[in-house]
Amino acid sequence: MLLEARPELSTAVLRPLGAASLLCQVEPVGRWFEAFIKRRNRNVSASFQELEDEKETSEESEDEEFQIEEFALLKTLDPKDWKNQDHYAVLGLKNLRYKATQKQIKAAHKAMVLKHHPDKRKAAGEQIVEGDNDYFTCITKAYEILSDPVKRRAFNSIDPTFDNSVPSKSEAKDNFFEVFSPVFERNNRWSNKKNVPKLGNMSTSIEDVDGFYSFWYNFDSWREFSYLDEEEKEKAECRDERRWIEKQNRAARAQRKKEEMNRIRTLVDNAYSSDPRIKKFKEEEKARKEAEKKAKADARRKEQEEKEKQRLAELEAVRLAKEKEDEEARQQALVLKKEKEIQKKAIKKERQRLRTTCKNWNYFSENEADSVKMMEEIEKLCDRLELTSLQSLNETLSGTSKEASKSAVEKQIAEVNLQIKREKEQEEARMRQSTKGAEQSSSGGGGSSKSWSEDDLQLLIKAVNLFPAGTNARWEVIANYMNLHSVSGIKRTAKDVINKAKSLQKLDPQQKDDINKKAFDKFKKEHKVVAQAVDNAVPSERFEAPGADLSTPWTTEEQKLLEQALKTYPVNTPERWEKIADAVPGRSKKDCMKRYKELVEMVKAKKAAQEQVLNTTKAKK
Amino acid sequence: MAAIGVHLGCTCACVAVYKDGRADVVANDAGDRVTPAVVGYLENEVIVGLAAKQTRVRNATNTVVKVKQILGRSCDDPHAQKHISESKCSVIEKGGKLRYEIDTGDIVKLVSPEDVAKLIFSKMKETAQSALGSDVNDVVITVPFDFGDNQKKALGDAAAAAGFNILRMVHEPSAALLAYGIGQDSPTGKSNVLVYKLGGTSLCVTMIEVNSGIYRVLATKTYDDIGGLCFTEALAQYLASEFQRSYKQDISGNARAMMKLMNSADVAKHSLSTLGSANCFVDSLYDGIDFDCSVSRARFELICSSLFNQCIDPIKILLEQVGVKATDVNQVVLCGGSARMPKLQQLIRDLFPDVELLSSIPPDEVIPIGAAIEAGILLGKENPSMELDTITIECTASDILVKEADESGAETFSILLPSGTPLPARRQHTLQAPGTYTSVCLELYESVRKSSTPENSKFAQIVLKDLQKKDNGVHDIVTVLTMKRDGSLHVTCTEKDTGRSEMITIEDSS
Repeated sequence: MLLEARPELSTAVLRPLGAASLLCQVEPVGRWFEAFIKRRNRNVSASFQELEDEKETSEESEDEEFQIEEFALLKTLDPKDWKNQDHYAVLGLKNLRYKATQKQIKAAHKAMVLKHHPDKRKAAGEQIVEGDNDYFTCITKAYEILSDPVKRRAFNSIDPTFDNSVPSKSEAKDNFFEVFSPVFERNNRWSNKKNVPKLGNMSTSIEDVDGFYSFWYNFDSWREFSYLDEEEKEKAECRDERRWIEKQNRAARAQRKKEEMNRIRTLVDNAYSSDPRIKKFKEEEKARKEAEKKAKADARRKEQEEKEKQRLAELEAVRLAKEKEDEEARQQALVLKKEKEIQKKAIKKERQRLRTTCKNWNYFSENEADSVKMMEEIEKLCDRLELTSLQSLNETLSGTSKEASKSAVEKQIAEVNLQIKREKEQEEARMRQSTKGAEQSSSGGGGSSKSWSEDDLQLLIKAVNLFPAGTNARWEVIANYMNLHSVSGIKRTAKDVINKAKSLQKLDPQQKDDINKKAFDKFKKEHKVVAQAVDNAVPSERFEAPGADLSTPWTTEEQKLLEQALKTYPVNTPERWEKIADAVPGRSKKDCMKRYKELVEMVKAKKAAQEQVLNTTKAKK
Repeated sequence: MAAIGVHLGCTCACVAVYKDGRADVVANDAGDRVTPAVVGYLENEVIVGLAAKQTRVRNATNTVVKVKQILGRSCDDPHAQKHISESKCSVIEKGGKLRYEIDTGDIVKLVSPEDVAKLIFSKMKETAQSALGSDVNDVVITVPFDFGDNQKKALGDAAAAAGFNILRMVHEPSAALLAYGIGQDSPTGKSNVLVYKLGGTSLCVTMIEVNSGIYRVLATKTYDDIGGLCFTEALAQYLASEFQRSYKQDISGNARAMMKLMNSADVAKHSLSTLGSANCFVDSLYDGIDFDCSVSRARFELICSSLFNQCIDPIKILLEQVGVKATDVNQVVLCGGSARMPKLQQLIRDLFPDVELLSSIPPDEVIPIGAAIEAGILLGKENPSMELDTITIECTASDILVKEADESGAETFSILLPSGTPLPARRQHTLQAPGTYTSVCLELYESVRKSSTPENSKFAQIVLKDLQKKDNGVHDIVTVLTMKRDGSLHVTCTEKDTGRSEMITIEDSS
């Protein structure tokens, strides 16, 4: 129950509300939430809603006013040819066309029906054509097309009054905007998107112009050409035919659509290329770029000049500094030279003194030979002793008797000799060290317990090249070969050989290359010789006693010459070996024959080794 | 038209479909209405659901559980760290993102949590579509209240990858309210609802104010250290001690035996919610010994008594935080599978003796049903996609009250426009005054809390004069309060008989 008002009270606001509303986060669930949001969104756009409402009412009022323009030729229309009639004109909406609202179409149709319905006309005493042949059918058809949004769109697409023309570039030379504006205005009705940008005028900003052209280049048109379909699907009698018709129609539509897209494209292309604004923008851009470029070049040049200047200054400074330094160095050198000269003089003097002193005392000896020897020793002393020691020696010599000075000199000589000897020893030791080191390095990297001599290494390389990768039981063959041929007599297993070969591979590439080259040469040579030997094998050939000169090994050069000679002088050549020996300079007939024998031997051994391994592997199997 | 609501929890996922005006949970291909959110990777297949949960005993390292815990979280997140440390399946960090390392023989696959969630969503979608018999992709997904943007995005991405079209993500408590249709019948009135959700691994208590059919979360609190699994673990521990007592074998160190025991305890726990006692039987639990043990509900409640207390305390803390008395809570909604426990329901009932405890819908199905209802509401809306976080609306800050007198003549206040009403708001009341009066005065007060109404909070008065005396009757005074979004209040009072009216407009102070 409410309270009674006291007489003095009256309706009043005493104070405003304290913090009447506050923001709350709410959960977006439930239908009331949806309703609330919808309501709120409505409120936001209230003004818009009102505007729309107003528009609608104004349209309604227009409805009553709008004029139906009677189509003069209406009565002459052939109902059979309804497809080619202008439906808007038939309904009297010639002026509104695609802008006509559904409401207007409906109203127009109603008006036409009222006026042209056969019953009405009959009542008015007109003659009526029987059946579908009456022109009223045209009205019905027109309404049928225009009241269905899909069919209406199809008809709108091929609106016979629409101007499809595209102005050429030359047309728009002087009055671009006057020529193109209406064209774009006309074509924007096909756009799927609303708010088609306007062409604008000379003062339109570059962004807007870009937007305009990008819109038109990506024009999304709803225009379609199903209305022009030549065959009607409904007419088909069977499914196959229907399909065929559909296919035909689709192809025709696609063709027309393509043409339409081309038309728009040409239009935009023409407009773009003749647009004075684009030209202007391009020029501006060019000018701007050039200015930028120029500014950049200027900056660069300036910078370069600055740098050059700096560089020159630096060079100058360096030069000055260097000059100064040189001067100082020269001064110093001069001083040093002077000092040296002084010292040299002093040392010369001292030496002279020593010599004279010694001479005075007749080199502390009685006989001639001793004195000569002493003289040599003294000379040695003179050579080796420093200035100070010479001085001190001279001091002692000048101050003492002959005997004492002799002992002093001898002592000095002994010292010097000792020193010389030590130096010599050191030298020797160093020599030994270096030779040892060389030896070590040559045999280094072996890693295996068995040492590898130079010959063995050569042999190994040869063997490796002789039995290339892929040879059956390659490493065993190589090991066998090595054992057969090695002079060292060390038994090597396949493992050792592998290890060594690997370590050899690890050697520095230069060395490896060298070794390989040599080995390959050798291998090649031997190979050839072997082939030769097999060809020329003459068991009856006799050799003179072997084992004359083993010391000089065959060089590659000589080997080559030998091979060449062996080839040029076949087996049955008279005095073959003499000729061969002539062909190989520096080698006697004996040498040649020995070498040949060696080679034959080698080949045989190799074969034997290979066979042996083959046999063992076979036996294993 | 149909739509789907999906709830992906840490332990279980559940899907409900909305069709023909009602929402219902659909059972999966195994006949269960709730699908374990477990994904197992085998050598040449991936299994989801109950089968994966069962094979986990043998395939623990390649079975992903509780994927929701690290979904969309970064490596240094404490939640993720906790999950990584607990997970049997190894989780590694790659490129700043967490990935499960799945080793199924040949190659080690790296699986992202989103992929795992996607598999579960695919399973739910399959379930829903097989029930509907049609290809429905529109879905509303529920997210916990504490999910951040990253996590929501990860969840959304996973659902989208599964082929869902997400209509909206709603918070789990709101979905629970919607499942019971709270505030949906009439758009007026205001109530406080407590949502109590005890899931597999977390406890979440939320206080929601329902005003004009719109939900507003007053306070919420999530506890990650308690959940249904704790109860299962406690029971399993008990069973293990029982086993040790009878067979003198300690199995607590044997992970596989414990896992078997956990599965068995889980089943036993579920049956204890409905039965007085449950039998726990594990074949060849340890060393070839079969284990058979019967647990009564009383025993179970005794084992878990401390856990129950732990589950109840958060409610008290929340009430204190909001400043709402237990009697001011109008309804309590239970959700989460563990809220099924009779003892727990009893404890809550004890806490709110006069409050309606809503548990008619199975608690683990409440949330997906709410999501499905929301999906039904959103279905057919033109533009339902809205940013979830940015929904803030203007509300009244204070109650608008009018001073009245009761039969004995004492002053009372009745609320005309409650606080928290979304604006713009319009409320119509018919107030009565004794017919003997010739003039009536409406004194309008404002107050943030109902309890205190100091005299100085009066902000306006409306006086209606020259009323006709009615000796045996009352004056009916129609009062309409309209508050706009800017906070200005417009009050119109009209005496019904004479049509005499007065109106005032109070501007907002700001």
